[in-house]
Amino acid sequence: MNKNSVLLRTLMLSTSSRNCFRYCKDSQKRKKIIGNTVGMTVLYIMLIAYCILNCVGYSQYGLEEAIPALCAATISVLSFFLTFFKTNGYLFHFKEYDMLMSLPFAPKDIAACKFLYMYLKSLPWYMSVSAAMLTGYGISVRPSIAVYPVWVILSLFLPVIPMLIGSFIGFLIAKIGSGFRNKNIVMTALSVLIVAASFGLRFFLEDMFRENKTEAVLTSTTDMLNAVGSGYLPIRWFGEAVTAFGISGMLLLVGSSALLFEIVFILVGKSYRKINTALKSHTASGKFEMKAKKNKSLLNTLAFKEYKRMTGSAVYMTNACIGEIMCVMAGIGVMFVDMESVLKTVMQDAPVTIEMLLPAIPLIVYFFIGMVATTAFTPSLEGRNYWIVQTLPIRKLTLYQGKMLFNLYLTVPFALFATIMICIAVKAPILSAVLYCVLVVCLCAFSTVWGCVCGVKHIRLDWENEVEVIKQGTAIAVYLFPNMFATMILVGLAVFLGTIISPNLITIILIFLSSALTALSYRKVVKLSK
Amino acid sequence: MANQTAMLAIKGYSKTYGENKKAADNISLTVERGDIYGFIGHNGAGKSTTIRAIVGVLDFTEGEIYIDGHSVKDEPLTCKQMTAYIPDNPDLYENLTGIQYLDFIADVFGIGAKERQQSIRHYAERFEIIDSLGDLISAYSHGMKQKLAIISALIHAPKLLVLDEPFVGLDPKAAYTLKQIMHEMCEKGTAIFFSTHVLDVAEKLCNKVAIIKQGRIIASGTMEELTHGASLEAVFLEGVNE
Repeated sequence: MNKNSVLLRTLMLSTSSRNCFRYCKDSQKRKKIIGNTVGMTVLYIMLIAYCILNCVGYSQYGLEEAIPALCAATISVLSFFLTFFKTNGYLFHFKEYDMLMSLPFAPKDIAACKFLYMYLKSLPWYMSVSAAMLTGYGISVRPSIAVYPVWVILSLFLPVIPMLIGSFIGFLIAKIGSGFRNKNIVMTALSVLIVAASFGLRFFLEDMFRENKTEAVLTSTTDMLNAVGSGYLPIRWFGEAVTAFGISGMLLLVGSSALLFEIVFILVGKSYRKINTALKSHTASGKFEMKAKKNKSLLNTLAFKEYKRMTGSAVYMTNACIGEIMCVMAGIGVMFVDMESVLKTVMQDAPVTIEMLLPAIPLIVYFFIGMVATTAFTPSLEGRNYWIVQTLPIRKLTLYQGKMLFNLYLTVPFALFATIMICIAVKAPILSAVLYCVLVVCLCAFSTVWGCVCGVKHIRLDWENEVEVIKQGTAIAVYLFPNMFATMILVGLAVFLGTIISPNLITIILIFLSSALTALSYRKVVKLSK
Repeated sequence: MANQTAMLAIKGYSKTYGENKKAADNISLTVERGDIYGFIGHNGAGKSTTIRAIVGVLDFTEGEIYIDGHSVKDEPLTCKQMTAYIPDNPDLYENLTGIQYLDFIADVFGIGAKERQQSIRHYAERFEIIDSLGDLISAYSHGMKQKLAIISALIHAPKLLVLDEPFVGLDPKAAYTLKQIMHEMCEKGTAIFFSTHVLDVAEKLCNKVAIIKQGRIIASGTMEELTHGASLEAVFLEGVNE
């Protein structure tokens, strides 16, 4: 076995639950591994069911031919964003950097192995999407048997190019950020700019098509995906290979993935050590002067500790603040755009008016804010430093309260800002606006406390890389997916019910519902703290 | 002492952080085969910065570092193939068992199955860790992790052994074993370069010493040249207080 395969195998083994379960003698830990595996299996089943239902929906509207392109687009978007947010912790600034770099590996090979590790770890998610969509496609189109192996094999290559693009952008951000004193702040700002630009690009492209009077073309999902495929070729190659057995599509997808892999890692390898040296180096000014100190309350002290933990990690900051920054952008953006046209773009010309959408405002804001709750991963982030808080004279509950307080400090102002600005932009009635503000605060409280339940229940302190708990921990998955699906359903329900009963009544019901759920979740946190 | 060829040669090495904060300033030293070379200095003096550059972890632009005549900058893989490094606080893969980790290192250095088994058994028995090799590293104490890191550095018989504060966390018996092994290795011609705060250890173990202060070497040479019969502690304190 060559050295790179050894490294890749070891990286996989070092985070394998199976390996841990096999050799661990702690029965509690073994039970936790079983629990996590069951939880993750449920999430996989949910994802597969969602994808199959999506395909069934498409075929009911006669759009089954679009399923291969939809599958390729879904996997590409998912793999790009998931990789982009993880690059900083996986490719750069990882814990065992010194150990690996002192071994006889070329920097390029370490970076490539880390990339392949990231790919293999995410592959089950992408393949679940692919298998589910293949099932949906198989049921509705009944293609020839040869489609199945071609689909599965090419699905293995589908995430590679978007992941390489995500990694390369992450590399450029790390390279630029490493030149600054406040590296984390610069890297977070650049990451947010890229995400905002990605969203902006989507609307820009759609707008461009509209100006070219191609609305008629875009109303058809099939043709819209074709249009996307003409811009992002791997989607077209996949579609051609699967539907028409286009050999050129297959070869282009596989060949360009391999070629791009080589090019990206030759470039990354050239500055790999330099970037890591800069990211891992901290200058000491030695110019400290003792000034008058102020006392903080215990909860504020703990919340401040969380704040410093966040600003000390670009991965943490990028993931935690993205929703807040989107809120600021949305809040400012609504002042300068025509809400009617935005609604038209977002809803793809569906018959929804602004008045109908009013009760969904706090839920839409929550969709940005609530997708990440720092409390879902901060208990695990204590990691090997957990002894510090364990040996301090504070109760576990107080520690978790500090973490919850920080999440509230982080989310509530931004959620309120976005809600108020959107209310002003859509000229919502005063009473409704007040109710929306109350609801969004209640939702922030719920996300904070529910996140804490997930974070404490699935606490994991023995992580190798903080990305494992910030981006892909069980706590995050258990928090995120039900929350996301529930919010999407609630948005739909609020819009639908708002046409039947008073929208304010819906908001009041949601306020009570979220408050009750927050109280129940808090009781659970208290119980888990004992 | 074995063949007196430079195993490690540092020539004018400097490392600057930020705009002009020099962590290492024009460092030059030579470690011959069979030397046990102590690198001493207070906290933040630049010891780890220098050590991390030697083992190829840290990027640097000024100066040159050669291992057995090969440049660390130009031939990093050749240099790493003959070097072993033990950091002060080893970050190992916690979810591997001890033996899985050692197998990983052995695979990377291409050590054959029989040789690997003998070598692992030999050192694991000497450090009294053999019974724990089947356990997850996460279950190890700090000292056991340190022992595992030391074994992983020894199993491929390096020509240059670089250690950063190797005695921290080791129990007295393990520290004694390590000192014995260091002597045995230097008799076979291996060069050993290590940093320490424990001046007693340096005085008894090393044949050469360098004292670093604020990134600069303020004294270096054989133990006799440096101390002239006085204690190393006195020489060190005099040097750093100047």
